[in-house]
Amino acid sequence: MPASIPSEYRGRMHQAQRELMQRWYERLEESARSGNPPAVSLMIAGNCVELLEGFGAVPLYPEINALQLAIRHASLAPILAAEELGYAADNCAYVKADIGALLQGLTPTGTRLPTPALVLCNFVGCNTYVKWFEHCAEFQGAPLTLLDVPFLRTDEPRAEDVAYIVRQLQEIVAQLEAITGRRFDAERFREAVRCAARVEEAWSRIKHLARRTPSPFDAYFDAITLMGPLYVYRGRPEGVAFFELALEEMEAKAARGEGLYDQENFRIVIEGPPPYPFFRAFRDMFAAWKAAPVASTYSTVGGLWEFGFRHDPDRPFESLALHMLAHNVTNRNYLQRYQQIRRYVEEWDADGVVIHFVKSCRLFSAGQGDMRDYFTRQLGIPTLYLESDLEDPRYFSTAQIRNRMDAFFEALEHARATGTHRRGAALVRANGPAPGDEPAKVAAGPTLRILD
Amino acid sequence: MLLAAGVDVGSTQTKAVIAGERDGFRLLGRALVDTGSNVQRAAENGFLAACREAAVAPEEVGYVVGTGYGRYKITFGHAQMTEISCHARGAHFLFPATRTVIDMGGQDAKAISVGARGEVLDFVMNDKCAAGTGRFLANAAEVLGLGLDELGPLSLAARHPVKITTVCTVFVESDILSYLAQGKQAEDILGGVHLAIARRTVSLARRVPLEAAITMTGGVARNLGMVRALEQVLETKLEVSPGAHFAGALGAALFALEKMDAGMKAGNRRPADAILAG
Repeated sequence: MPASIPSEYRGRMHQAQRELMQRWYERLEESARSGNPPAVSLMIAGNCVELLEGFGAVPLYPEINALQLAIRHASLAPILAAEELGYAADNCAYVKADIGALLQGLTPTGTRLPTPALVLCNFVGCNTYVKWFEHCAEFQGAPLTLLDVPFLRTDEPRAEDVAYIVRQLQEIVAQLEAITGRRFDAERFREAVRCAARVEEAWSRIKHLARRTPSPFDAYFDAITLMGPLYVYRGRPEGVAFFELALEEMEAKAARGEGLYDQENFRIVIEGPPPYPFFRAFRDMFAAWKAAPVASTYSTVGGLWEFGFRHDPDRPFESLALHMLAHNVTNRNYLQRYQQIRRYVEEWDADGVVIHFVKSCRLFSAGQGDMRDYFTRQLGIPTLYLESDLEDPRYFSTAQIRNRMDAFFEALEHARATGTHRRGAALVRANGPAPGDEPAKVAAGPTLRILD
Repeated sequence: MLLAAGVDVGSTQTKAVIAGERDGFRLLGRALVDTGSNVQRAAENGFLAACREAAVAPEEVGYVVGTGYGRYKITFGHAQMTEISCHARGAHFLFPATRTVIDMGGQDAKAISVGARGEVLDFVMNDKCAAGTGRFLANAAEVLGLGLDELGPLSLAARHPVKITTVCTVFVESDILSYLAQGKQAEDILGGVHLAIARRTVSLARRVPLEAAITMTGGVARNLGMVRALEQVLETKLEVSPGAHFAGALGAALFALEKMDAGMKAGNRRPADAILAG
């Protein structure tokens, strides 16, 4: 393994990101102090943050609080507090960290967080979140509404599902009017949707820049940096300015031919959330091998825009519904996730896939063993499977994870040295049964024929 | 003759191999020492003992590759590689038909899919749980008051292996105590323990293409009872070298020989200098 670890790129966008997130916490504190702006709890997956702009409300994301605690190495104490309260060891660690922090009065930045005017469980794909938000509402003494988004059962969203979500969104508008005493500003909402479409365009173009060799953009670790503004500010002009700045910066890097490292050795697609308590250590394991994360599924939890979907100011409610229903990774079925990763491997021309299994997350992790089989056995794409957790530091063992990472990259390096290495685009074209098709090539030995 | 070494610092034992190349590969010496708490010292002791067995002076060794969990502590080494790559390489060298390696060490159990040239195609390992590893057997031995070397032969004498339901290294103790309380024979208990580990290891190994020939490496390969239990579950014969526990160090030495030319040209210090200076 190379001895030195390349440092990460830090530009104007990183400074701007810090300022935006700090300002968000200030707004939340203002809300805690005065009730103005009103706060509404949302979940990240397929969020409908634009709707809140119609009330001038600020979003409160329990997941961001949880991950911010973890990244600051402060998640274990609230997790233990939640376990003392009776939450089981295998409960979602996000839930435990957030509930524990809530009860301990712990916040990521030390600033106060408001009691939300409404706990809006925009249920997209995760059943556990329903209980999480029920508990939040109970502990915070806030009203709770469940926005029921059906799983995407068909390739294309069904009209009745869209209508079902639109109707619920309109009910929530009426409910928020009653709770906040503010009239819904339809024009401001439309403007928020317009902002979102611009943010999504810039974000998507940044992601497409990672198709270049070398990739100027770290589509996993740096994508996560950008995800805060993406979910908090997507419907606001500050969000547009931020993402257009980030795009400009990445385009300039691309024009200079700058990659993440002095030399890009490998191009990797990453599936699954990161181990937030060891975020830097995990990043350094890729950097040590000069492996560039060129695409990731985790960065599409809040929305999947790189394949073309945009919010539409001419159909604001319908486009919110479509986004929640069909254009985020969590509400899509597993074969669609295979297809998404396969497209990344092929179109972003990756050398391999790294799957990070999260022990306490059934939503993201169930089925990843089969996913590994699909990529390794049917497509012949080197795929590494790692296990730890996104929030609970007790499940991460540095030596074990590094050992697996080193072995994976050693094998890629060896394949390259011996001339047997092939990149994703060529492999997918050569081997590629689509998910759901009859496998063209199944290795000998007992295998699960998961896609029959 | 140019000489190279592989040093495999495992969680329980450290293995070192000295090799040279003149008219083909020559294995000149090898050594096995307990790792203990001082990983760096264990690596040095293993290396020096292997040099003594090879009857070469440490300064004659031109290149050292370290492997195993303690590889980054080998201060006199030139390069580190994971034991996954090294076991694959070592197993392929010992049995060129190898397409799958099952490596069972003190804390790890892994299955490696190997290409025609000994390259790693895929691998899976146990995760943060010592079930199915040497540690599981060591715990069983302790409860039964037996030495590690006695386990394999005794397990082969089992006539009615008991059913061990747990795969937990810690909880297996209470299972064993419970069978002892029922008056079960030690060999039948051990037969059950070996089969439980074998089943767990094979279910792990099935996640890579389990293609023949299957070679077993690692310290647990010295336990004939374990080899037979795996063969029974797999319904196939395993390739096992008497020096199976040296496969990682051997693989590291093979990589070291390959890298030696480039390393010497780059002006790297010799490993002995670092040890003697320290």
